[in-house]
This record gives sequence, structure tokens and C-alpha cells, in this order.
Amino acid sequence: MRDWISHSLPFPHIIMTPARLCTLLALLCLVLSGFSLATQLPVTQWAQALFAPNNTNIDQILVHYSWLPRWTIALLAGGALGIAGVLMQQVLRNPLAAPTTLGVATGAQLALLLATLFAPSLLLLGREWVAVAGGGLAMGLVFALAWRSRLAPMVVVLAGLVVNLYLGAVSTTLILFHQEELRGLMVWGAGSLSQNSWDGVLYLLPRLAIALVLAGLMLRPLAILELDDVNARSLGVSLKHLRLVSLGLAVFITACVVSVIGIIGFIGLAAPAIVRLLGARTLPQRLLWAPLLGALLLTTTDQLLQRFSGALPTMIPTGATTAALGAPLLLWLIPRLKLGGERPNTAPMLTAPRRRTPGRLLMVLGLALLGALAASLLLGQNSNGWAWPSWAVWHATYEWRLPRTLAAAGAGTLLALAGTLIQRVTSNPMASPEVVGISGGTAIGLIGVVLFVPGVGLPMLLLAGTLSALATLGILLLINRRSGFQPERVLLTGIAITALFDPLRSIVLANGDPRTQQLLAWMSGSTYYVDTSLAIVVAASAVVLTLALQCLSRWLDLLPMGNSSARALGVNVDRARLALLGVVALLTAAATLVVGPLSFVGLLAPHMARLLGASRARAHLLAAALLGALLMVLADWLGRQWLFPQEIPAGLMSSLLGGAYFMWSLRKL
Amino acid sequence: MTPLSMRGDNLRFQLLSLALLVLLAGSYNASAADTPRIATVDWTIAETLLALGVTPVGVAQTDAYREWVGAPPLPDEVVDIGLRAQPNRELLAQLAPDRILLSPMFSTLAPSLGRIAPTDTVALYTPGSDLWTRLKSATREIAAIADHEAEADTLLAWLDAHLALLRQTLDTQDVSDRPLLVVQFIDDRHVRVFGEHSLYNAVMQRLGLENAWRGTTNYWGFATVGLKALAQYENARLVIVKPMPVGVEQDLETSVLWQHVPAVRSDDVLTLPPVWSFGGAPSAMRFAEHLSQALIDASATPPTHETPDA
Repeated sequence: MRDWISHSLPFPHIIMTPARLCTLLALLCLVLSGFSLATQLPVTQWAQALFAPNNTNIDQILVHYSWLPRWTIALLAGGALGIAGVLMQQVLRNPLAAPTTLGVATGAQLALLLATLFAPSLLLLGREWVAVAGGGLAMGLVFALAWRSRLAPMVVVLAGLVVNLYLGAVSTTLILFHQEELRGLMVWGAGSLSQNSWDGVLYLLPRLAIALVLAGLMLRPLAILELDDVNARSLGVSLKHLRLVSLGLAVFITACVVSVIGIIGFIGLAAPAIVRLLGARTLPQRLLWAPLLGALLLTTTDQLLQRFSGALPTMIPTGATTAALGAPLLLWLIPRLKLGGERPNTAPMLTAPRRRTPGRLLMVLGLALLGALAASLLLGQNSNGWAWPSWAVWHATYEWRLPRTLAAAGAGTLLALAGTLIQRVTSNPMASPEVVGISGGTAIGLIGVVLFVPGVGLPMLLLAGTLSALATLGILLLINRRSGFQPERVLLTGIAITALFDPLRSIVLANGDPRTQQLLAWMSGSTYYVDTSLAIVVAASAVVLTLALQCLSRWLDLLPMGNSSARALGVNVDRARLALLGVVALLTAAATLVVGPLSFVGLLAPHMARLLGASRARAHLLAAALLGALLMVLADWLGRQWLFPQEIPAGLMSSLLGGAYFMWSLRKL
Repeated sequence: MTPLSMRGDNLRFQLLSLALLVLLAGSYNASAADTPRIATVDWTIAETLLALGVTPVGVAQTDAYREWVGAPPLPDEVVDIGLRAQPNRELLAQLAPDRILLSPMFSTLAPSLGRIAPTDTVALYTPGSDLWTRLKSATREIAAIADHEAEADTLLAWLDAHLALLRQTLDTQDVSDRPLLVVQFIDDRHVRVFGEHSLYNAVMQRLGLENAWRGTTNYWGFATVGLKALAQYENARLVIVKPMPVGVEQDLETSVLWQHVPAVRSDDVLTLPPVWSFGGAPSAMRFAEHLSQALIDASATPPTHETPDA
């Protein structure tokens, strides 16, 4: 066993192996569980309570029907997510793949939302089946999108991420309009382990047993996936089917867990990553240790939570907590994680025909933007229906429509620029400001201020947002300084920071604080709270920055060619990356303050620009900026008109519109 | 206590309610001409306005109001001005109300709505203050803005008198004095339990009823807890305020833990029709009536395990 204890560990004085970590955690978990039991029952009654409770003793009943099922389901779910994570990371050859990145969790949640609202009778057949169907459909969508590329790992992850965002946007829209009806799903969505019978365990157990047996059967073919595509194929393995079956299995496991206890973040990502880091290199090793670690992580967290959260009026769901605890751990891991070079990279870059004359493209986009601006300002509804432009509504146009339209255009531009920069710096089509975590970091600061400082005004919010954006940037720089700002690590840091934002949001939503309405609206990217002066500042800085960034186009053309090429051509790679990331952070922070953290545009606009043929940095930046503005303006206008007088936030609308287009184009990749 | 006397009490409730309606309808007709046209995003303010006899011109999410607050009923002519957190300003500007009323929850709207009409924020839930005092002063503030101060005095006097009467009735009716746990179901495993600083708790104090929940509560007077928390209250009666989420009733039937919650085991569960849990005077009145009625009905058919001791 000593052999695969890695000698490459960064801290050789502590030799930690998966086995030792699991033993430590198991001891901690047992001690905590013992304490927890001891506060509920005298030791003499333990055996009776665990195996054959006395039906007249409420303490024994609580232990037998609530505490013990909860303890068991935590172990089961943690283990299941660990297996799912290993399978996905193996199939996708991506240490960041996790059960949630395929859209399964959001798919399941959306299905339950829809059933609750529109077909409650389906829920009587069984919530879990509705959830499994939703998760399965989401997975099917991801696979359909990635089918053309023979389910190449990179495309699957990209499609999963997009489907995740898209379904998440639909869920948020529904929650926004039906907050009171859906409060039960908020608790579920945040991953509460609380049980009041053995039903959940009995549901999960046989399904997981079957899944485990299947995973065991696929051990050998799955190990072949460590080779690259050509070698694996030459061994006679049908890659398409192998990936399909193993991903399907992982998704089935995830859907089962999600349908019983909701979305448990991070375990599926962390457990496999940690055991790999601690030296579990081969697939059988990882399949053994990752579920064990996952089970122990979740159970220990849950025990800690039960011990310390009893005194609080807010319920802190375990799923959200694992995500919150996991994020710092992930941040600590990132500088120590071996990425790239370990696995053959077959990921295709987004390629599209380059246009000789981007001028015409830019002109068409510019004209389209002007048209959208005019429509957004002049066309609207009032209580009598559609109103055509007239002097009578000039006041409304100026007072209410102009700030929102300008802010939408400005924010869209800023996000598109940020997205273009980060996609070019990291050579990663998955990158977007949201992934880098600055949106999430800004949002955390703003939520904190809204929740803890009553009656706070806009200037204070602006200040708080800016400070948290800078703090996030600081964390990003601090953690990535040692690695010379390697693109993957920067993205990984970003995901970890975003992972901190999610649990916070879930806890807020789960507790049904009526103030969540306002937070929800802002989090879904609304231009509602923008006033004229802010709108002008945003729009003006968008224009100025678009032009100013043209100076950086040399870096942006050279960096995607790789470190050595760029260095050979005279670019100080580290300094260039640092500067570009700083610009990205500021762009994102400015846009987030205006339209919230849902920056789908930052992913979408640079993509569309590239698919339309703008591949050189200069044209790419301009086209993306125009597209970003166009997209946000259209989204804002449609959002205001579609369900009049209720308004769908621009960020949500752009996700709904842009996501659909993006998925369509992804299909042809 | 006989079934006949029960019916008499029912009748008395109804007669008194009818009297209030007549009273308010009268004042409404008298002052309708010079009442300011008011729009509000807050349902509690909307229900208070309606109880004062003022029909607001615009209320946010009118469909949801009808579903979650219900009474007093919202007339059809009230315009839906969109989401509570984001009322449609173009529509509001077109409605041109004389006043706009907000609650602190939506106070960030004040600067921009202030450009449409004078905008006031009326606080009902304020940390550190007594909810009942706040409820009364908030009702008066709303009435002052709506130019219906006399009606507010009538409404509040009526509320006090009515609660006192209900308390008296409960005292004479041999209602069990066991403490109550008031909950609303979130799903089959979680409830909101209402404690200090909640509307329900304030009403229960006025009725001389003891709230079993001594745990901490949030800003709005409730705590979100698992069912397990309820099982520890050996001596409490359970009061469930509807609506129940879909499927929960069915799930509870098979839930072992639920069946072992002391109140459920002894079949001592009262179910009340929906009442807006963050409401004002009208919701307080409705909750008081529903709760008293349920308690009196339950004492007529005592739970199985209790020995009739009177």
C-alpha cells in the first residue's frame, strides 16, 4: 500500500493517506454520534432504541425514527455521491466533474417545481419519480447536445454547465412568481437530511446496491478511459457506449439521492478529488475510498451541524453546509492539486470559420443594437394594452425606460468584455465571469448587507459590492500567485468561490425570510433598481472600456497560443495574465452591481461572436461587446413586456433566450 | 356544556362579525369621495386598508393576495401592479395614485416610487418592539394616511372588545389550558413554528392562551424546524394553520415520527383555515376567531385519551 502513497505530496512531514483520513473522520464521526446519542438517551437504552424501540418512550422513538435514519441516509447519500463523482470524473477525464455539473440536480428540482405548480397529482405518485424524470431529461438534453462530438468530455461538461444554468434560470423565474407555494421546495433544494421514518433509507438502499454492482462490473472498461481516445478505440472499446452507460449510471445515483434529500453540494466533487490528492491513483482505489470519504464527510458535517445549530432560529440545511464548508477546503486544495498533463487532452477548442472582413459583421450587429435600443425605449404596454410611441408617453420613456435600457446595454457590454477576456486568457470556452467567482463574491457581500443592515440604501450597497468584489479578487490573486496564474487554477478558484455563494443563497431561501423577494429579484439580474445617473455611468464606462481594451488585443491574440509561444513573442505571460484578470474582475464587479450575478451574457456573447466568425482579438472584443449589449437590451425589454405587469428580470430573460440559442449552436459543435 | 350552547356561541360570533361589516360599510360609503387613492405593494397594508373601508387602486400580486390572504376580499377593480419587490412603475405612474404605501421590506423602492406619488413606509414588524403595540400604531398610521382615523379607532376598539369577548367565552367554555404549538407545514418533514414576535403569538396572548414554543424565532416571529422538534413537546396541543402543501397529508399518514408526536398520538390536533401569518388587524381577528372556534369544537369532543373531568 505504501507504494501509491504519493511522494509528490507538498507536505512530506504529514503522511496522510485516504485510509488514514477516513479513519480519522470515522473516529470523529463516532465520537460526535456518541455524544449526540448520549444527550438523547441513557446508554442503557441505546440498544433497545436502535433495534426495537419502546413505542411509549418518545426519546427512543425519536432516536429510532429520526436520528438513526438521518445518520444512515447521510452515510448512504455521501457514499453514493462519492461513487457518482468518481464515475463522472473518470468518464469526463476532468477532476472538476461532479454530479451537479450535468444539470441533474437542477433538472430534478425544476421537475418538482413544475409538478407542484401545474400537476400536483403527479406528486401523489411519488416525488422521487418526478425528480428522477426531471434529472433524466436534463441529462438526456446534455447528451443530445454533446452527441455530435461523440460525447467528448469537454463538450459534455460545457453542455452540462449550460443546461444547469438554463434550468436554474427557469427555476428561479418560477420561484420569483410563486414564492409562497414553493417554500417547501426551497428547503428540499438546500439539502435537508431530516428524516421522520425509514422510508428514505429503504428507497435509497436497493437502488444504490444495484448501482454499486454495475459500477463494479464496469471497472475494467472504465480503467481503459485513462488512455486517450485513439488508444482506447484501438483496444476495441466503444467509447460512446461506455461513456453513455457510465454517465447514465452516475446520473441515476445522483437523481436517487437528490429526489430523497435534495441537492447536496460539493461531496461528489470533493471526495474523489481529495482521495486522488492523497494518493489513490487507480480507479479501483478511488472507487473504494471516494464513497467512504464522501459518506464520512457528509455524516460528520451533519453531526456537527445538529450539535451546534440547535439554538438558532434559522434552519441550516446540511446540503448547503457541506457546500459552504467545502469551498474553503477546495480553495486550500487548489494550489496542491495536480491538473493537466496527467491525462491526455482531447478537448476540442471552439472553432469556426474566420471572417476576412469582420467590418460587415460589426456593422450588422451595430444596426441591430440600434434597432433594439429604439424598440426598448419606444414600445411598451400600459393598462389599456400596447401603446405606440407618442409624446404622451415621453415622460414614462425618459423616466422609467431610459435608465433600464442604458443599464442593460452597459452591463451586457461589460459582461461580454469580461467573458471575452477570460475565455481568451484561459483558452477555455467554459470560462465566464460567473465561473471566475467574482459575481459570486460580490453577491455574497451584497446579501450580507441586505440581511444584516436593515433599510440599507443604494450607495451603501454599491460600496459593499465593490469591496466584496475587490476582496474576491484578492483571494483569487493570493491563491493563484504561486502557480503563476495558470488558467485552470484560476477557474477552479472561481468555482470554489461561487460554491460559497450557493449555500448562502440556499440558506436564505430555505428559511423563507420574506425579504428574499428583493434578493431573488436582484440575484436574477434585474435592471429595476438602476437610476438615471448610475445608468449613464455604466453605459459610458462600457463604451470607454470597449475602446480602451483594444490596446490589449496583442496579448489577447498571443496568450491563447500557449505560454511558451507567447513568451517567445515577447509577452511577459504572468504579468499579462494578472493585468487581464484584474480587468475582468473590475468589469464583472461593475456589471454585477447593476444586474446581479447571473451573468450568462458573459459566457454567451463571446461565444456567439466567435461562432459568427470574429476570431482575432480586436474583432472578437467588438463583436462580443455589441452582442452583449444587444442581448441584454432585448432581454430587458422582453422581460418587461412578456408577463406585463409582472416583470421578468433581464438576467433571467437573457439566460432563457441566450441559453436556448447557445444549446442549439452547441449541438452542431 | 351542551351542543345547544355551542351553537349559540357560533351564532354570536357571526352576529358580531356582521355588525362590524355593516359598521365599516357605512363608513366606507360616507367618506368614499374624499379618500385618497392609495396603491400598495404590501398585503398587510392592503388588508388593513380594506378593513378600514378603503379600496386601494393598485395592489401587488393580486392573485396571490386572494390565495394567501383571502379576507377581506379584494374587489375586482383593484389593479394588479406586478411583483411585490418590483411593482411596475410605468403602470403605477399611469394609475397616478395620491399615495403609495410600502413596508420596510420594500423600502429600497421608496426613492423611485417617490417620483410617482408621496411614498410612506409603514413598519409592522420592527425588531425589539411589541408586535401588538406596533400593529395598533401601524393601523393608525395607515388610517391617518387614508384619512380614515375614526374607522381605525372603531376597528381597533372592536378588535380589543372582540378578543376580550373571545377570551371570556374560552374561559367559560372549559377549554383545556394546555399550551399550543402553532405550525404551518413547509413539506412533510419541516414546519414553521410561530413563537415570540409573531402575529399568532400576539393573538394567543390576548386570548389568554399559552404558546408552547419557547425557542428563538426570527425577525418575523417564526422558526423553521424539523418535525422532530415537535415530538419533544409532551403536553402541547398542535394547531396547524392551512394551507397544507400538496401530498403532505398523505405522507404524514405513513410517517412513524409524525404518528408519535404526542399531540398526534392523542388525536389532539386542530386545523385552521388559511390566515396570513404576517398580517395586521384583520388577520389577527380571523386567527382569533378560527382558533377559538376550533378550541371550543375540540372541547365538545374531547381527545380520546383524556378523561372527561367536568
